[in-house]
Amino acid sequence: MKRFFIFGAVVFSLWFCANVKAQGLDYYKVYKPKQGMSADEIMQIVYYNKYSLFARDYQQIGDVYYVDPSGFTLKRVWKRERAIKGGKDGISYKDVVVMTYPSEIKGLAVLTWNYQDPRRQQDEWLWIPSLKKVRKISASQNDDAFMGSDFTVEEVSTRHFEDETYKLIGEKVFSGYKFERDGKIKLKGKSCFLIEAKPKRPHWYYAKRTVWVDKDTGSEIFEQYYDKKGRLFKTLFREWVWYPVKDKKYPTQISLECKDLRTGHYTDIVMRNTKYDQGISEYDFTVKALMRSRW
Amino acid sequence: MRKIARKSFFLLAGVVFLAISFPAMAKNLGSNLEYSGYLQTEAWLKVYNDESHFSLSSFKNTVDLETQYKFSDNWAFFFHPRYFYDAAYSLRNDYDSNFDRNQEYMGHTQRTEWLRDCYLDYTSDKLDVRIGKQQVVWGQADGLPFLDRVMPFDLTKYWLPDFADIRIPLWMVKVEYSPQINSTLQFLVIPDFEASRSAPPHDTFAFKSANDFDTFKKVNLRYGGTNDVQIYRPSTKLKNSRLGLRWRSMFAGIDYTLNYLYGYSTSAYTYTDSFIPTANPADPSSIGDYKWSRRHKIMQIMGFSFNRTITNPGPFEGLTIRGEFAYLHNEPTYYGTQGHRSYTEKSDKYTYVLGFDKSYFTKWDFSLQFAQFIHNSPTFKGKHVLNTYTYGLMDKVENYLTLKVSTDFLHERIKPEVLVIYGDDNDGRISFKTKFQATDNWWFTLGYYHFWGPAYGSNGEYRNNDQLVFTVKRTF
Repeated sequence: MKRFFIFGAVVFSLWFCANVKAQGLDYYKVYKPKQGMSADEIMQIVYYNKYSLFARDYQQIGDVYYVDPSGFTLKRVWKRERAIKGGKDGISYKDVVVMTYPSEIKGLAVLTWNYQDPRRQQDEWLWIPSLKKVRKISASQNDDAFMGSDFTVEEVSTRHFEDETYKLIGEKVFSGYKFERDGKIKLKGKSCFLIEAKPKRPHWYYAKRTVWVDKDTGSEIFEQYYDKKGRLFKTLFREWVWYPVKDKKYPTQISLECKDLRTGHYTDIVMRNTKYDQGISEYDFTVKALMRSRW
Repeated sequence: MRKIARKSFFLLAGVVFLAISFPAMAKNLGSNLEYSGYLQTEAWLKVYNDESHFSLSSFKNTVDLETQYKFSDNWAFFFHPRYFYDAAYSLRNDYDSNFDRNQEYMGHTQRTEWLRDCYLDYTSDKLDVRIGKQQVVWGQADGLPFLDRVMPFDLTKYWLPDFADIRIPLWMVKVEYSPQINSTLQFLVIPDFEASRSAPPHDTFAFKSANDFDTFKKVNLRYGGTNDVQIYRPSTKLKNSRLGLRWRSMFAGIDYTLNYLYGYSTSAYTYTDSFIPTANPADPSSIGDYKWSRRHKIMQIMGFSFNRTITNPGPFEGLTIRGEFAYLHNEPTYYGTQGHRSYTEKSDKYTYVLGFDKSYFTKWDFSLQFAQFIHNSPTFKGKHVLNTYTYGLMDKVENYLTLKVSTDFLHERIKPEVLVIYGDDNDGRISFKTKFQATDNWWFTLGYYHFWGPAYGSNGEYRNNDQLVFTVKRTF
């Protein structure tokens, strides 16, 4: 009888592990949207790529520029490491973001565990240099500004596929986006699916957004946010490229720009030093690792 | 004054030399070297409450440098010196006042505190070892150091500065071993000893007990008595090392720690070793030849802490609950009557804090804490337990409530926060602080501290001592 239960438990575990999926897709694979897919199927791939669930781990440095309408600029630099857990212990991925510039906030670090269950909030720990202490923190409101930028928290890290409803409204060629930081026109001529996404929450900071999904990389390259009165109030551009990793290629964000059309303020993020599948230890995503901080 | 001017010159020259030469030196050492630092000026103005004029309490100029050199992925060295010079004591024109006499003790960095960190780090998945001068922090509470008792404290500005600046670093060995991914055993051996500091009598944040003791000594002298105060510190022998142990793990989504600390108290306690009344019967009975001593005693701290964020959907989603409990065994305690210490005896205390944190609306963070400090023995030989800071009478159970509200504006360029600490007997303080980022490297802070309560309250003792604080910081 005991043997039977053990055997049953093993079979169930194997079945469960084999069926752990992210946004309905298997972890650690590269997906591309195909002609004839529904809006939901396309957006599942978009979210999968957004959180790099195709990789085992990755690290990146981001130079962030906050620019006000007069051109006055403040800069921040962060280093991010992510380990994709593939649903182990209910965790989708773990993140550590460490601020390295400016000096005043150097060392400020956030450890985040993101769960497989889209209804479950993140667990977050914060290393506070002025206290030399780790604090468990309440997850920010999803519509809060992400670290003071023009991005909201959910635009960067917490929005899930399940949070919106989707409608395919057509296919178009992207006319290109002028990136303010270097003045270059980016991603011109990209063939895109055009999808309308509406939040399921009844009262949210946007009423709908139009998403341009690049058919090649399966990633959202341009988003237009509308309020209840149908006014465009925000745009978000993401530059995606194919990044070679050993014998594979991963879709990778290398620059982002978020513009608040009401204030004229915008935020640019330029990524560098991207590395995938470095074998980053899971021990680097623990409170103990956060407490190693010297700043 | 000439000595001060010379010191200021050398300090300024050193800062300029450092600022000019360090980036060049750092470049030569390559990408394994990381550094940052700042120059800061802060002015504290006493602004309110009694009949005295506005006065400059502090005009502190600080230079700080943090450097890290990574030998490999596992080995790193960290070095962090800091020096300050407080010019208020020479700028104010009340020569020969009590305040002016405190310059030697308050005017510049004391003892070994210029070295904030100096350690060698070994890190690996299972084992981390940090050897050298460092800070260790325990507990979950904000602004209430119940379990956070590993380091001595610099209370020369009361509990107002950031805690990382209040703690006095010590030379020690810290070993952290992780038998499992989210579980860690921390072991501390602290052979170094520094006593906690407080402001000298009659300084801005001098404790009432220190002021009253100083006044009494002067009266005693005037009437023909003598004062002899001996300070005993634990000798720096390995057997006097303080030892700490902490187990951290997770259970059912709860982060918890179990903590144990053994060793000499970092605070010194006053004992009356002998008293011979003067022969003159006309003198007040308390006049005579006194021998006092300030001693550190062996004590133990046992406790635990925990935190949990409710991440599942529901009415409490996003709420963080945290807490800590500490049992202080054999901590020296003062007993007496209001304003007068009769005995110093060891006793046990229990303390706990419960905290609740939540973000509301957009960008508004609220943090509420309730704490209790419970004396196991509130009386001794008919005398009542006393507040260490003021010699005021304490209740068996002291209650505290704290609330912190913070937010930000203009893309985090302006960050205001308000902290209210409220204790029994209507004793408390409120701190407003607003930080403004002008550029990447220029930061301004404006703060205001308001105190209220009875004269013998921990905060009430400063009720005539509200402070306006302005800080300019240039980082590099």
